[in-house]
Amino acid sequence: MTMLHTQTHIHITSACHPRIDPDAEVIALSPKTLMATNRFICEVCNKGFQREQNLQLHRRGHNLPWKLKQKNKNEVVKRKVYLCPEPTCVHHEASRALGDLTGIKKHYSRKHGEKKWKCEKCAKRYAVQSDWKAHSKTCGTREYRCDCGTLFSRRDSFITHRAFCDALAQESARNPPPSLASHLFTGAGGAAAGLANNMTLGISSSTAHSSAAADILRLGGSTTGPGQFDHLLPPSTTTATSQQFRNQPGHLSPSSAAFFIPQQDTSDHHQSSYHQPFHHALMQQFSSDPNNAGGAAANQLFSLGFDSTTTTNNNNNMMTLFANNNNHGGGGGDHQHQMMMGSSTGGSVPLFSSSVHQQQMNNMVAHMSATALLQKAAQMGSTTSSNPNATTSASLLRSAFAAGPNHNNNHQKSSSGEKQPSLGTFGGSFFGDVDTDNGSSNNLHDLMNSFTSAANNNNNGSSSSNNKKLTRDFLGVGHVAAAVRGIATTISQQQQVGAALEGSSSLDSERNNNNSMGSHSSFGGNPSFQ
Amino acid sequence: MYQDDGSSSATSSPLQFFSMAQLSPNPSNLGSPYPYLRELKSEERGLYLIHLLLTCANHVATGSLESAEVALGQISQLSAPDGDTMQRIAAYFTEALAERIIKAWPGVHRALNATKIKIPSEETMVRSLFYEMFPFLKVAFVVTNQAILEAMEGEKMVHVIDLNASEPSQWIALLQALSGRAEGPPHLRITGIHQQREVLDRMSHKLVEEAERLDIPFQFNPIVVSGGLENLDPEKLRVKTGEALAISSVLQLHPFLASHKNPNSRLLQRQGTLGELGKMDWFLNVLWGLSPKVMVVTEQDSNHNGATLMERLLEALYSYAALFDCLESTVPRSSIERLKVEKMMFGEEIKNIVACEGGERKERHEKLEKWIHRIEMAGFVNLGLSYYGMLQGKGLLESYGCDGYRMKEENGCAVICWQDRPLYSVSSWRCRK
Repeated sequence: MTMLHTQTHIHITSACHPRIDPDAEVIALSPKTLMATNRFICEVCNKGFQREQNLQLHRRGHNLPWKLKQKNKNEVVKRKVYLCPEPTCVHHEASRALGDLTGIKKHYSRKHGEKKWKCEKCAKRYAVQSDWKAHSKTCGTREYRCDCGTLFSRRDSFITHRAFCDALAQESARNPPPSLASHLFTGAGGAAAGLANNMTLGISSSTAHSSAAADILRLGGSTTGPGQFDHLLPPSTTTATSQQFRNQPGHLSPSSAAFFIPQQDTSDHHQSSYHQPFHHALMQQFSSDPNNAGGAAANQLFSLGFDSTTTTNNNNNMMTLFANNNNHGGGGGDHQHQMMMGSSTGGSVPLFSSSVHQQQMNNMVAHMSATALLQKAAQMGSTTSSNPNATTSASLLRSAFAAGPNHNNNHQKSSSGEKQPSLGTFGGSFFGDVDTDNGSSNNLHDLMNSFTSAANNNNNGSSSSNNKKLTRDFLGVGHVAAAVRGIATTISQQQQVGAALEGSSSLDSERNNNNSMGSHSSFGGNPSFQ
Repeated sequence: MYQDDGSSSATSSPLQFFSMAQLSPNPSNLGSPYPYLRELKSEERGLYLIHLLLTCANHVATGSLESAEVALGQISQLSAPDGDTMQRIAAYFTEALAERIIKAWPGVHRALNATKIKIPSEETMVRSLFYEMFPFLKVAFVVTNQAILEAMEGEKMVHVIDLNASEPSQWIALLQALSGRAEGPPHLRITGIHQQREVLDRMSHKLVEEAERLDIPFQFNPIVVSGGLENLDPEKLRVKTGEALAISSVLQLHPFLASHKNPNSRLLQRQGTLGELGKMDWFLNVLWGLSPKVMVVTEQDSNHNGATLMERLLEALYSYAALFDCLESTVPRSSIERLKVEKMMFGEEIKNIVACEGGERKERHEKLEKWIHRIEMAGFVNLGLSYYGMLQGKGLLESYGCDGYRMKEENGCAVICWQDRPLYSVSSWRCRK
């Protein structure tokens, strides 16, 4: 076999081109020659080179005589084509010879050679290093997978396939098409975005305790095809159905249904006509309930006049992802996936769902929150003036509480001395002004009665100042928030903050004497706790 | 009326009676009041528990172990991990106090913990329960994503580093938000760091699936670190030039404060002194060196890093009271998941705060002000959270259905509270050039 060292540049002729140059010189190389990498060896150090030129340059370094061959322009160079040495190969014939030496080498490796290069991420193997490199650059970066399982690297072929894929057609028929929510976010202008925003904020999807909430759920939730809600955009009222909403008794604004996170059973409901009133009803609720903490935010929203920036739209989606719902969390089911598809803003899935059921009701059996207990304990042991050196548990708690939420940790009053708290003091003032005739068990019952009634009185008084429908009488069936807020309101109303934080005991004991146990007024209901 | 100075008198309330009983260590005295204890209503019991806890803590702090022993015994009569809120809190705090006492006998302590097996999957599971049962992480994710979105407007190549990649939903949400961008989605690369390979694989799978569905060019790089973030090799992050970097740190910074002696030794750290002194500074410096376009930090907003036991215990009492209240308001008492979160997450944190010292004490929560100061010193500028981000977070809390959760703004950062007690904060930063 002829070994040829060629320095000339050979035009790359694609093997696909059937043009035959009858004057081309056909070269057949042996496999060994083809695969040989370093044919030119330096005699001094035995280093191998692929090209003679490189060897010559290297020889300069050894101070050996070197000569660089130059292309002779006068000489007519015949075009060379190469044959694949593998007899079974198509390129073994002269008519199908390949025009490029590098090309034939690569071809031989690819087709007839061993695949030594393996991609790390997928299982693909390559015989040619450059192929492998090129692949690993793109491997996993951009892949398209149709639902039928076929993988594509090109976007156009993927899209074409998807349009005609059978599997996809079946699946979309089975599952309900995109939900209403996504179409609310399909910005048909700022109004829609505004709508969506408002509804997002006002929504929670607790298990509907009241039938009212359930109705709203049904009304709000559902999935229908795209494009049905374009008419929905401006908030206008439909009298009949909106009446329905306004008259819902005892309806809690935060627990209005997460209508865009529909329950399974509501998927069949047709909601096009319901959305407007629903939205409007929401607006009603927000505007009519000034004490509603949610209302404040919502009102701000309403006045925001949503410039429908894309960020806005996008983040509506995000909101819905995290909104509370009772479906199983963490990526929700295909149902939700399907429902949220197709939105032009990317679709949203209630991913951050939670299984919060309103357990407030269940656990509230004559039980005080730990936070409230701590506050109470802190202001119970009030007689620090009588024994300034004593560090009672109460004063410890007070200093910690005062220093806690909004202040730096300046525990000047805290137990730097680490003394034993005076137990008697604490115990003695624990029951304040309760009549302590004798230490009999009767006393204990009296005590407990006074406790309960006092707390009830206090809470009844304070909870009335709270408009939230969620809150109830605290020690009865109560809600945690009421008591604490009640305590806080009473405190702030009586404006004893400054004095309390000073730990002035005279005030405390006065109040303890005047008011039966319900005198929570002395304690740091710090208005800056907002 | 009644004696102020605690001397025993004929007129004694039952609790005074109890206090007197405590003063004498004679066990026979202790027998008698106990029948009453069961009849105590939960409120009184709660108050009593608080008092006992503080007493006991004080004893432990002053080294009066015998008195502490007595107090512990009494509390154990009243506390219960499946009782009401205060009972549960008392149970975990007393366990922590007992642990602290036992540490005085290292041999015994080690022996007691000899068969403790740390199962990483359990920890992951508990973490996941925490995510499910509270809105804190969800709100943090919403706010984080919003901050990232805003910072990455107009960017074509986005690289997000998640210092503790455990919840795929966060990034799925980001993917969805990104796909809706007007200029089209960027090329997104997410580097997830975690202790367990399985968690990262699962996350990778979910994210890749979602990205394919949304047709976003996407890449997920998992990095497994064992033994905490301090063993992270920054080289592995492979931050490339030309990509916009976002870092998300959710509750990952505070362990670096462990055995942190000099918080102001930033200068030392910039010069590359890596030692016990500057783990936090070192890590912040590493992050700074990556030049992130935005870094969002979520941390606890409570001061559990006081120097003395009593300081920490008092603060922790308030914080965990709030957390336990959250659970009480939202989850039934019989729930096993609730028990798990209380025991395996909060109980362990409480133990760490109360019983450990020095390098062991990893749960070094600090107030937001301190974090702001610290991060600023490390070369970052507070971006502040946008109005819209805050709104989103608040909206999510609203939708949660439990109105004890609040969110407020402080110095441009979001603070999530239960009632009035701040619990978690989220802040957004960029590198100062």
